[in-house]
Amino acid sequence: MIKFDRATKYVTTKGIRKTILQNASVVFSRGRSIGLLGRNGAGKSTLLRLIAGTLRLDGGRIVKEGRISWPLGFQGSFQGALTGEQNVRFVARIYGVDTGELADYVEDFAELGPFYRAPVGTYSSGMKARLAFGLSMGIKFDYYLVDEITAVGDANFKKKCHDVFRTRLQGSDVIMVSHSTSTVREYCSSGVVLEGGTLTYYEDIEDAIRVHDRNMRGS
Amino acid sequence: MSHAKTHLRVVGALLVRETTTRFGSKPGGYVWALLDPSAHIFLLVSIFQAIAHSPALGTSFALFFATGYIAFQFYQAMSAYLNSAVRANRALLSYPGVAPIDTIVARCILQAGTTALVATIVLGTILTIARLHFSISWPPIFHAILNASLLGIGIGMMNNVLFVKFPAYEQIFNIVNRPLFLVSGVFFLVDSIPHPYQSVVLLNPLAHIIMIFRTGFYPEYRAIGADLEYLYLLSFLTFFVGMLIFTSYSAVLRKE
Repeated sequence: MIKFDRATKYVTTKGIRKTILQNASVVFSRGRSIGLLGRNGAGKSTLLRLIAGTLRLDGGRIVKEGRISWPLGFQGSFQGALTGEQNVRFVARIYGVDTGELADYVEDFAELGPFYRAPVGTYSSGMKARLAFGLSMGIKFDYYLVDEITAVGDANFKKKCHDVFRTRLQGSDVIMVSHSTSTVREYCSSGVVLEGGTLTYYEDIEDAIRVHDRNMRGS
Repeated sequence: MSHAKTHLRVVGALLVRETTTRFGSKPGGYVWALLDPSAHIFLLVSIFQAIAHSPALGTSFALFFATGYIAFQFYQAMSAYLNSAVRANRALLSYPGVAPIDTIVARCILQAGTTALVATIVLGTILTIARLHFSISWPPIFHAILNASLLGIGIGMMNNVLFVKFPAYEQIFNIVNRPLFLVSGVFFLVDSIPHPYQSVVLLNPLAHIIMIFRTGFYPEYRAIGADLEYLYLLSFLTFFVGMLIFTSYSAVLRKE
């Protein structure tokens, strides 16, 4: 369960203050995958970072139960001088999961061959993305955060990613930001629309998409 | 309790990571962390031995110089390494479990350990090779190391925030910090400075640290002017102000 309790968040960029959330309250219950909808710049990614816990609210609170992932496919933490395996072991240590088990899982998943034990700096962007995706799938989270799913690899690998992610989602939920309504429809059962600092929850994703479309036309 | 465990785990992971990456691209790896300051000391010792007749204290140039340099290094290496602790690891803050303070703690442990190891190797080598009759008194050594570390950590934590908030300050800090090495009494004894200037030099806490550190190796050295109370006051003040700034601006640190 993730609960926003009168949450308020401002962001200030170059002296311009923007309200992302204004006294927003909403509950995401366990077992529902949620699509976050909102116009460009409404603060969807900020919202995701608030849920992840890497940004703090200016007012109110967020109550979280369960283990929440970092944004799926995040590559920023890879240290170029370390090997793929060393990078994976680092994340395993942070999350307190078995380092050997995770290292084996990712080695098997990412299909990097001998490059798995070469510095990440030598990887192509596709190889890095495969390592990142494998790492995200290697740890079991209750909530997976997704900021715009990006497909990696060839058709075979894409299918594998899709299948593994599907399996993961049988026991876990996803909170997803995407501009593609078809992707949101595919993964999410419920939706939340972020508009003018308020969060509105819709049990049915179709309702959320409809409201979102209306908002977009209105502007 | 689970929070404390997370911090411990993250600090442990960062320690492994920092140790492997700090000199990771060069053959030899971590060994350079020890070799670099040691080589620096031996180089400077040989230069000074050539241009001066006798050290200001005792008979060994190497010991005189190394005690000053190492005491200074406990501050200098610490603050220099901590200055960029958060910046260097910013990407990792995207993992919810990693807090800015974890990067500080990890670098702090690594640097304190490294400098202590360097001190043991360098001073141990000098004392053995020179076959000096020495008697080490540990309390002043510990006082000096503790104060140098507190100062270094305090300044380092402050700089993590201030370098980001005021980029011009980074340049100013470096301009002020660089000559500190020359005026803190690594090459000379503060005791021998004529009177009105001595009190100015003694405002610098590092001058006290070096003097007190040397009393641990030179039993006959009186270190007139070294004030442990003043030193502790200043170090703890710096440490707490650093902690305060770091904690209250941790939001600044998380943002890009």
